Amino acid sequence: MRPTSRRVPLGTIAGARSGDKGGDANLGVWVRTDAQYEWLRTELTVERLKELLPEAGEVDRHELPNLKALNFVLHGLLGDGVASSTRFDPQAKALGEWLRSRHVDIPEALL
Amino acid sequence: MIRIGNASGFYGDRFSAVREMLDGGDLDVLTGDYLAELTMLILGRDRMKDAGLGYARTFLRQLEENLARALERGVKIVSNAGGLNPEGLAEAIDELGLGAKVAHVTGDDLRDRFPEALTANAYLGAWGIAECLNAGADVVVTGRVTDASLVVGPAAAHFGWGREDWDALAGATVAGHVLECGTQATGGNYSSFTAIDATRPGFPIAEIEADGSSVITKHDGTGGAVTVDTVTAQLLYEIGAPAYPGPDVVSHFDTIRLDPHDRGVRISGVKGSPPPDTLKVCLNTLGGFRNSTTFVLTGLDVEAKADLVRHQLEAALGADGLTWTLARTEHVDADTEEAASALLHVTVKTADAKRAKAFSRAGIELALGSYPGFHVTAPPGDGTPFGVYKAAYVPRTSVSHQAVLPDGKVVEV
Repeated sequence: MRPTSRRVPLGTIAGARSGDKGGDANLGVWVRTDAQYEWLRTELTVERLKELLPEAGEVDRHELPNLKALNFVLHGLLGDGVASSTRFDPQAKALGEWLRSRHVDIPEALL
Repeated sequence: MIRIGNASGFYGDRFSAVREMLDGGDLDVLTGDYLAELTMLILGRDRMKDAGLGYARTFLRQLEENLARALERGVKIVSNAGGLNPEGLAEAIDELGLGAKVAHVTGDDLRDRFPEALTANAYLGAWGIAECLNAGADVVVTGRVTDASLVVGPAAAHFGWGREDWDALAGATVAGHVLECGTQATGGNYSSFTAIDATRPGFPIAEIEADGSSVITKHDGTGGAVTVDTVTAQLLYEIGAPAYPGPDVVSHFDTIRLDPHDRGVRISGVKGSPPPDTLKVCLNTLGGFRNSTTFVLTGLDVEAKADLVRHQLEAALGADGLTWTLARTEHVDADTEEAASALLHVTVKTADAKRAKAFSRAGIELALGSYPGFHVTAPPGDGTPFGVYKAAYVPRTSVSHQAVLPDGKVVEV
C-alpha cells in the first residue's frame, strides 16, 4: 500500500540556499531527519528538479548525506556571469526559495 | 584554540560590524571578505580611473575608526580588502599613523598573462597570510586570496601547521567557508527565518582547535542564531562537487560532521587531500555596454501590448542584442492596479556605447504613441559598461605568491 502523502510546498520540510559561480548557479537543499533525507534523495533527481525548475538546463547533482543535503549545479543558467546576465535574479540568490515554493507530494509521516 | 571572527561578507556589508566585533567580546583575529567576482570588476573600473585605487575603500574607513581599538586589544586584522592594490592599501593604513605593523600579500595579479582582461587574479592560498602573521604583523591585507584563506592563514600560523597537514587545513577551510559570507552563517538569508529573530544577526566566529575542528559561534547578546541548520545553509553556498578544491587543500564536504554545541555548532571530522597543481584565475573582461527598462502592461491584451512595444522598439533601434522577458504578474479582475499589471523587461547589450544610450531615447519616444496605459517602472539611464566573467587555470608553480612583511622584506611563499 502506498503511504498517504500530501501535496505541499517542498519548503515545508526543506531548507535551501542558492548562489552564483560565474555563469553557473548552485542550489543546496537540505532536510532535518534521516527519513526526510531518504525521501529527498529518492525524490529530487535531476529530472525531477528540471520539472520543478523548467528554466534549468544542464544540471549536476551531488549527495551530501552527512549534511542531509543535495547540491545541484545548474550550468549556464547565468550566461556570462552576474554583470552580463539579463536573467531575472542574475546571481541566483532566490533560486532556492523558488524551489521551496514548488508543490510536491510528501509522505504524511515526514510532515 | 584560536578565536577568529568575521566582520564582512562583501564590499558594502554592515559598516559598523568591525566595531561590533571588537567591542562584543574576545577575539584573536578579525577577518573580512570584500571580494566577489563582481567586486573585482568594480575595482578594475576604479583602477582604470585612478591607478592609486583598486582596493575596498570602506575597509580603510573602518580601520580609521577602529584600528587603535584593535591594537589595544591585541586583535589582529586580516582582510582581502587590498583587492587589485594591496600595496596601496597597506601604505594607506601606514599613513593612518597608528604605528601598526602592516604586511601585505601579493602576486595574484596576472594581467601580463591575460592582456585582454580588465582584471586577472589567481586565487592564492593561506600561506602568505601565515608568513605575515609569523613576522609579527598586526594587520595583513591581501589581493585575491580565497575567502577561506583569511581564516586558514591565522589558524595555520597559530598552530604551526605544515603544508601537508591536510585534515587540519581542510577543517579550517570549512570553518572559513562558514565565516566568509558574514551573517549568512548566523541566520541571515535563512529559509527558516521565521523561527529565529533575524532582525540583526551577529557576525560569526570560529573557535578553531589544533586539529582543525571548530565551534562556530557569535558574540553573546547579538541577534540571529547559530544552529546546525544555519551552518548547513552556509556550507551549501556556492559549492560544487563534495571535493571542494582550494589552493592549499581539497576539503571533502561529505566528511563534515556538525553537532549542536552549547555556544553554537561544532564542526569536526573534515578530511583533506592534496590540492590540484593549478590555481584558478578570476578573469573579468569588458563585454560592452548595457541598458534596460521595464514597461508596465496593465489589464487586458497583455500579449498584444507586449508585441506592439516590442515591434516599435525593434523598429527604432534594431533587434540585435535585445533580450525581452514578459513577467505575467497580472491577475484577472484584480482589485489593485499593481495586481492587474504585467512587467515587460527589455535589456540591450551592445559593443556600441552610443547605441546603449540611444536605447533610452527610443524607449521614451514611445510614451505617447504606444500601447494604452504606457508607463515604465523607472526611466532608462545612459547605459553602463558590463563585464564578462571567466575562470582560467594556471600552473601553481608559475605564480609568484609573495608576503611583504612589516619591515618591507619580501618572502616568496
